[in-house]
Amino acid sequence: MLEVEGFTKYYGDLCAVDDLSFRIEAGEFVTLLGPSGCGKSTTLHAIAGLVEPTEGRTRLRGDDVTDLPPEKRNIGMAFQSTALFPHMTVRENIAYGLRMHGYSKADIEGRVDDSLALVDMPEHSEHKPGELSGGQQQRVSLARALAYEPDILLLDEPLTGLDRVLQEEMRSWLRRIQLEVGVTTLYVTHDQEDALSMSDRVVVLRDGRAEQIGSPELIYESPESPFVAEFVGKSTQFTGKVAEADGGVVVHSDNKKITLPDSAPSPGTDVTAYVRPEDVRVSIDPTRSTNEFPGTVLNISNLGNRAEMTIELTDGKTVLAHTGRFPNFAVGDNVYIQFDIDRVIVL
Amino acid sequence: MSVERPTLGQVTHIVGDRLQGRISNHHLALLGVSFVGFFLILPIIFLIPESLNLGSSTPFESYRRAMDSIYVDAFVRSFIFGLATTAVTLSLAYLLAYYLTFAARRVRIVMTLIIVPLWIAYVIRYFGILLFLSPAGPFANLTGIDPGLLFTSPAVILGLANVYLPFAVLPLYNSLNAINKELIDASRVLGADKWWTIIKIIFPLSLPGLVAAGLIVFILAAGSFLGPAVLGGPQQAMIANVIAKAFLENFNIQFASALAIIYTILLVGFLIAFNTVFDIQEVLGDI
Repeated sequence: MLEVEGFTKYYGDLCAVDDLSFRIEAGEFVTLLGPSGCGKSTTLHAIAGLVEPTEGRTRLRGDDVTDLPPEKRNIGMAFQSTALFPHMTVRENIAYGLRMHGYSKADIEGRVDDSLALVDMPEHSEHKPGELSGGQQQRVSLARALAYEPDILLLDEPLTGLDRVLQEEMRSWLRRIQLEVGVTTLYVTHDQEDALSMSDRVVVLRDGRAEQIGSPELIYESPESPFVAEFVGKSTQFTGKVAEADGGVVVHSDNKKITLPDSAPSPGTDVTAYVRPEDVRVSIDPTRSTNEFPGTVLNISNLGNRAEMTIELTDGKTVLAHTGRFPNFAVGDNVYIQFDIDRVIVL
Repeated sequence: MSVERPTLGQVTHIVGDRLQGRISNHHLALLGVSFVGFFLILPIIFLIPESLNLGSSTPFESYRRAMDSIYVDAFVRSFIFGLATTAVTLSLAYLLAYYLTFAARRVRIVMTLIIVPLWIAYVIRYFGILLFLSPAGPFANLTGIDPGLLFTSPAVILGLANVYLPFAVLPLYNSLNAINKELIDASRVLGADKWWTIIKIIFPLSLPGLVAAGLIVFILAAGSFLGPAVLGGPQQAMIANVIAKAFLENFNIQFASALAIIYTILLVGFLIAFNTVFDIQEVLGDI
């Protein structure tokens, strides 16, 4: 459906996007994920035709649209600021795109009603955007973008700026609408939870390059680079040299020997081992399994549905662990942490 | 024994403590309102008995005389020149403000170039235009063509538009610059080309600036004195010139007052009519 090939964008000497290529299949929900300044927004704007790439081509439905102005691309787009026209009612906002796409007056009325029904806002058609809440404005903005059945829907951080509860509600709502309409969607965000919760595939961007492209599960469970491992999800990192020991490969980090999975690189290689907090078990008594280390509880943050514990190992290394809600530990307790060999990510 | 003299800071604190809770925003507003009341509205009200001259044998004489065609012409001319100047100034200012907002790379420099002329006395600027347009001036010298504009209505309108341009550029630039650039992106993505976006999105959202700029320029231009005095002939005399002549040359204070009162009433009436037709509140309130 959408192919981006060799995208490069320079702002003066500054390279915002660097030879980026990816493709999106029809009906797919793909997210460009990365920190601010990684080039994700520039890429989205270039696909929309609002920014001219220095190099590279954009193909939509197989047609090269690189040199087409935005109005000739049949794209739907929702913006972080919602970009609803403040001097028009909700109905006029949605009708604007339909009119520009050549729909007849009678069709426009019906389609405006349909798209407002789709986003559960039928009763707000005569309101001005300023009279709506932030979440309602985003719904209208989505209705406006979808009304004329665009080939692809581009979403530029539409949930950033909403409060946390609404953001989580909007995530599942947005994904439901996308599946219902079946529209090919490219979503841009710096929020890993947005990316992991909604996408079929995620493109992790760093300094204008794709670090990894894959399903949310792959990105989270099998990151291909330290950047992806550190940017997506939390983890504790152990750095050292791979060595051979009885029973497998280990990495010596500080004063510990961490046993690695069989897939670990050959001895002598410098690696970092990543352990996700949810893979770390905490206990008062030792279980005498591999990868178990004694430590002291430094901090407990109760997050309601779970708790995040910070444990300082005897060599001074701090480890993050997620436990069930309100765990029976106290700060200062001497505990043991343990994680399974096959849960260790080695990069 | 020494007597401690309070320092300035202490005095400020003492005064501040005394005033605490006794001064509200209404009191502060009263300062501005009374300034306008004492130095603008009151003097104009004092003109009313002066213009009526009730004690004399021929009261209302001044108002009767003001209906003579040369004075009616001056009133009409003031409004026509005011409207023409507003139209010319707004067109030029809109282009400039649009360029400043969406195209200029060095906004500060262009803005400075627009504002610096305000530091130069009007009379100097009008004489500059006078020299420029004169048959012996640099334009005629360079091109060999006498523009033949001097002491004509176009010369007056050109001069006024030139002088009042910055007053229109500033509010227009403000309202254009306040438009969220994502609205323009959204319009394009929704299928509108550049021109349609200007007509349907940019122009309506810049209306508050346009209305403000228009009112400022119209009021300044319709009441201008120096422009027509320097660049126009007797056929270009506007109401301010006529009032000044009655007051300064003929020392006819009653007649000058009557003209001033009539002009004030006409201007306020015009503004009320404008407000009814265009509903400024509505235009401004929407955005």
